Amino acid sequence: MPVREPAARTTPKSAPRRARQPETVVLFYVANQMFAIAADAVQEIRSTDSLAGSAIEIDQIEIGKVRHTVERGHRTYFVLNAGMHFGLPVTRPTLVLILRKLRVAVLIDRIERMAEIYGVHPLPLAFAGDERRWYRGLAQIDDLVIPVIRPDGFLSEEEFRTLDLAAQGATAKPPLEGTAST
Amino acid sequence: MTQAAATAQSSFVILQVGERRLALPAAIVAELSPPVRMHSFPHDTPSILGVIVRRGHVVPVYDAASAIGIPAPSVQRFFLITRRRFGKSREFGAIPVNGDCELTVGEMRPPAADRPSCVAGMLPFGDELLDVFDLDALMTSSSPDIAEASEVRG
Repeated sequence: MPVREPAARTTPKSAPRRARQPETVVLFYVANQMFAIAADAVQEIRSTDSLAGSAIEIDQIEIGKVRHTVERGHRTYFVLNAGMHFGLPVTRPTLVLILRKLRVAVLIDRIERMAEIYGVHPLPLAFAGDERRWYRGLAQIDDLVIPVIRPDGFLSEEEFRTLDLAAQGATAKPPLEGTAST
Repeated sequence: MTQAAATAQSSFVILQVGERRLALPAAIVAELSPPVRMHSFPHDTPSILGVIVRRGHVVPVYDAASAIGIPAPSVQRFFLITRRRFGKSREFGAIPVNGDCELTVGEMRPPAADRPSCVAGMLPFGDELLDVFDLDALMTSSSPDIAEASEVRG
């Protein structure tokens, strides 16, 4: 079997987009799968325990990956289970990534570390499913290829609308009989 | 070889995927790569196993066995690096193969009526008549149809 080098004119454009400046990312795990997210997309990292008292359950079944909201700085964040979002096995998340520009708080298992990346490979075109919405591309970190998350891929505008309606219902709902403090 | 004979015959790469031997047009094959580390991550595109890094490119790894509807190979020896076209773009793709690949020249016959649409033709090779796959069609076909056709053929 001869080994033939691809001709230069046919070489696909899948080389990483080289960034002029390195980009800092947070590497984290969900169900033993490592992901990267731009550090400047994350406003705050909290333990799930610290938010347990302030989480409000929302009554909706349409978007199974979101069950609660939390209030942070006069904004309502939808608490999203990253494992369910990516179709991974169910785990017990211990941390929450509160995103900076989006009203999303992402439940994750653990933070690995921060890292600097110098470019992101575009997701190969053969990938044609939801992953095109989930990921900005792929980063090479050490010997690993890690998906770099697109923060606005966690929830679509329509999902935000659905959740906003459900959240309004949750706050407007009168307390159940006997549960009101006296 | 006459001009007519030269145009009638084409080059094909014979590859072993699981227990099945099949053929691809040599024109879409770039190289045979050693079994480098494959990286996987969540996605919902059928028939993709993950990616490898080859010569600085991130290359998707196609689950050809699943696409054909046969059990995945237990041993993987190489990646066959192919080229696919997506609109105006081209992209490499890797097929895990578990046996030697051979380059051969032959005349492709029209596919038998019972073959799935991703089979572009049939190639006589030794005592066998191998399916020549259209890789684009294979990677976008539904595997149950192909598996059914494979069973019919035996």
